[in-house]
Amino acid sequence: MTNVETKAKIDQACRVAEEFTKVFYDYMDKKRHGIAKLYLDTGVLSWNGNGVKGNEQIQKFIIDLPTSDHTLVTLDAQPILDTAVNGQLTFMIQASGTVKYQDKSPKTFQQNFIVTAQAGKWKIVSECFRIQEPLGK
Amino acid sequence: MPKPHQKGIYRNSGGERDFYDHDFRGGDRRVTFKHGGTRGGKFRNRDWSNAIRSHLEDEDIDMNVGSGSGKSFRKGKKGKGGRQGSPMPLSAKKLLNSPTGWYRVSIPYGNKYEKSFMAKLIFEMLAPLDFCPIAWQTNGTTVIFYVDDDKVAEKILSLDRQVPLPNGFKLIVKVYPGTPNVDMTPAIKEKMKLVMAKRYNADNKALDLTKFHADSDLQENFCALFKPIVFMSVLEIIEQNIPNLEALCLNDNKLCVFGFLKKVSQRLPHIKILHLANNKIRDLMQLDAFIGLPIVDLLLDGNPLCDKYKEQTAYISEVRKRFPKCQKLDGIDLPPPITFDINEEGTMPDAQQTFLCNVEGEGIVRQFLEQYFQIYDSKNRQPLLEAYHENTMFSFTSAYPYGLNKDKNVPWLNWYQTDNRNILKVQDPDRRSRLLKQGKLSVVSLLQEMPETKHDIHSFTVDLTLYTPQMICLSVSGMFKELKSGQKNPPTRFFFRTLVIVPAGTGFCIANEQYHITNATPEQAKEAFKTPSLPVPASGTAAPPSTPEASPIIHTVSPVLDNNSKQELVNQIALKTGMNLEWSIKCLEGNNWDFMRACSTFEDLHSKGVVPAEAFVK
Repeated sequence: MTNVETKAKIDQACRVAEEFTKVFYDYMDKKRHGIAKLYLDTGVLSWNGNGVKGNEQIQKFIIDLPTSDHTLVTLDAQPILDTAVNGQLTFMIQASGTVKYQDKSPKTFQQNFIVTAQAGKWKIVSECFRIQEPLGK
Repeated sequence: MPKPHQKGIYRNSGGERDFYDHDFRGGDRRVTFKHGGTRGGKFRNRDWSNAIRSHLEDEDIDMNVGSGSGKSFRKGKKGKGGRQGSPMPLSAKKLLNSPTGWYRVSIPYGNKYEKSFMAKLIFEMLAPLDFCPIAWQTNGTTVIFYVDDDKVAEKILSLDRQVPLPNGFKLIVKVYPGTPNVDMTPAIKEKMKLVMAKRYNADNKALDLTKFHADSDLQENFCALFKPIVFMSVLEIIEQNIPNLEALCLNDNKLCVFGFLKKVSQRLPHIKILHLANNKIRDLMQLDAFIGLPIVDLLLDGNPLCDKYKEQTAYISEVRKRFPKCQKLDGIDLPPPITFDINEEGTMPDAQQTFLCNVEGEGIVRQFLEQYFQIYDSKNRQPLLEAYHENTMFSFTSAYPYGLNKDKNVPWLNWYQTDNRNILKVQDPDRRSRLLKQGKLSVVSLLQEMPETKHDIHSFTVDLTLYTPQMICLSVSGMFKELKSGQKNPPTRFFFRTLVIVPAGTGFCIANEQYHITNATPEQAKEAFKTPSLPVPASGTAAPPSTPEASPIIHTVSPVLDNNSKQELVNQIALKTGMNLEWSIKCLEGNNWDFMRACSTFEDLHSKGVVPAEAFVK
C-alpha cells in the first residue's frame, strides 16, 4: 500500500470513529431496542468481563442494564492491518469518558470496538467495555 | 428571692431552700450547720468562702426553682421537716425534668472521699437502678458527674442529706438538668475510635453504638452522641475507617435533632440498617438528614415521634416517603411497596476479571502478555521489536479520570500529552496521521522513551473478544507504578490497551495497538500491588485453567540470528532476487528469516507478477 492510500485509510478510520460513536452512544443511551443492528450477527461484547455473543443476545443484555448517559473524553481510531483481516476494511476504535447510571455519580470508562464494513454498513465485530474501578466490588 | 444575707446560710447547708426558715428564726448562722456542734471556726471560714462561690451560681438555681412547684409551698410546709432532720418525703425535692434527658449531679465536699467509695455508696443506695456516672470529675471540693436517666436523677436527689457519711456528716447532693461543654480533643477522638473498633462487627459490617457514652472505656469523658460535635466526630471516624458500613445502631443515645448533618447519604452510602430506638426524636422530619440512604430496616421505637401517629398506615407512609426501600419498620416486616412495572433499576452485572471468547486462546494470551510485560517493565524495551509486526500501527491517548482532574493533589499526565492522539481534540488530518505511529521501529522507540514502569499483573483484566486463525483481538487493563518520574511517590497509573495480534512464524506479533493511560483512582490505587508476585496468572471465570507450554510466544526468530547474520542474509537475497535491500528485508521478515522460504516466496510472487516495481529500484 502506498503512503497516500494508507493516509486516506487513516483519515477514513477517524471520520468513521467520530460518526460511529455518535450513533452508538445515542443507541446505547436512548434507543437500546434497536442496538442489535449495530452488531454483526456474530458480534461479541465483553461488558466488564461479562461476555455476550450474538447481536440479539447483546441487545437483550444492554436493555437490562440501568439507564445510562455516556460522555466521551477521548477517542482514537486506526485501520487494522490487511494481514489480520484479509484486506477487508476494518477499523479499531478506542474511547474513554464518563458514564452515569441512573442518578448515580459518574464513573470513568474505557471502551474498544472493532468495526467492519459489511454490505455498505459499519458493523461491530467485537466490543470491550470496562468501568474504571477496583475489581471485586 | 432570698435576701442577700440569707444566701450564705442556705449555701452552707447544702443548697436547699428549706433552710431559709432557720435563718429567719434562729438568726444564727451556725444553725445552718446541720451536723454542727463539733465544727470550729476554721471550718466555718472555709464554708463561707464556699458560700461566696456558690453565690455566683445562684441565678442558676433560682431559675430552676422558679419553674418547679413553687418555693413558698416548700418553704412553709416541708421546711420544718428538713430542719428537724426527719426523713424527708421524696416528693419534697422535685426534680426538674430535663429536655435533653441529662442531669448534672454535684456533691459538695465530695472530694473528701475516694471516687470508688463515693460511687459505691451511691450505687448501693440506688439499687435496683443502674448507676452509671458519666464524666466524673472533682472541681475544687465539689464532685460533679452526669447521669442520663430521669429515675436515677430523681433517686439521687432523694438521697440528699439522707445518707450518713463516715465522718458523721450526711451526703449532700444537688441535681439539675444540664450537660457540660464538650471539647473534642484528638485524645478523645482516639478513645472513641478504639471503642468503635471494639463495637464493630466486620462480618456483617455492623456498628453498634447503643448507649455510646456509657461504654466503660468512655465514661470518663462526656461523649454523648446527642451533642452535634460528638456525633459528627463519630461520623468522620466511620467515613475514614469503615466506609462500607451497612448497619448502624444508635439506640438509647438521647438523640434529638439531626439538622446539623450534611450529605450523610454520600458519606455513608451503604447504610441499609439504621436503628434509632429509645431516643428523643420528636418528628420524622429530623430523619430528612438520612434521605438517600438505601435503608431497608429502620427502628424508631421509643421516640416521641411514634406517639404522633394514630394510624399505622400514616406512619409507614411518612417513613416510606423518605426511605422508599424500607422493608422492616420497628422490627415488623412491611408489605412490599407497590411500584410501577418499568424496570427502572436495571441490573449491573458484577465485573469479571477475565473474558475469553474462546478458551483455547487462554494459554497464548497469557504467555504473550507475561512475556510482553516482562520486557516492558525492564530497562531495555528494544526486545519488544519482536512483539510488533513490521507495519504495526500504534496510537496513544490519555485523560484524567472523572473527578480527579489535574490539580496539585493528583500526579500529572503531562508526559503523555505530546503523543496524545485524542481525535476529539486533534482535528487536523496530517496531525492525526503523524500521531499514528507506523512500523515497529517507530513504535518501539516511542515505548522506549516512555517512563519506566512496574506493572501489577494481579490487577490486570483481560478480555479476549476475537480469536480466529488470522487474528486475535484482546483488551488488557490494569495498574502500574511509574518509576523515576521525578516525583516523590511514584504515581500509580491505570492503562487500557487493545491489541490486534496476528500469527507470525512460530509465534505472534502485534498488528495494531491502542494504548490509553490515566491515573488510578484512589480506590484502585489502594488495591494495587496488594498480592505478592506469584507465578499464578489471573484466571477468568470463563475458562478452566489450562496448562500451556512454557515456550516463547512472542514472535521470535528461530534460530536466533544476530544483526550480522541478518545482514548477510539480506545481502544474499538481494543478490539472488535483484530486489533492493529494503524489500529484501521485508521478504526475509515475512518468512521468519528463513532463507529458503524467502526465496521460494519471492519466486512464487514474482512469477505471478505481483512484486511491485519499486522493489527493484536501487
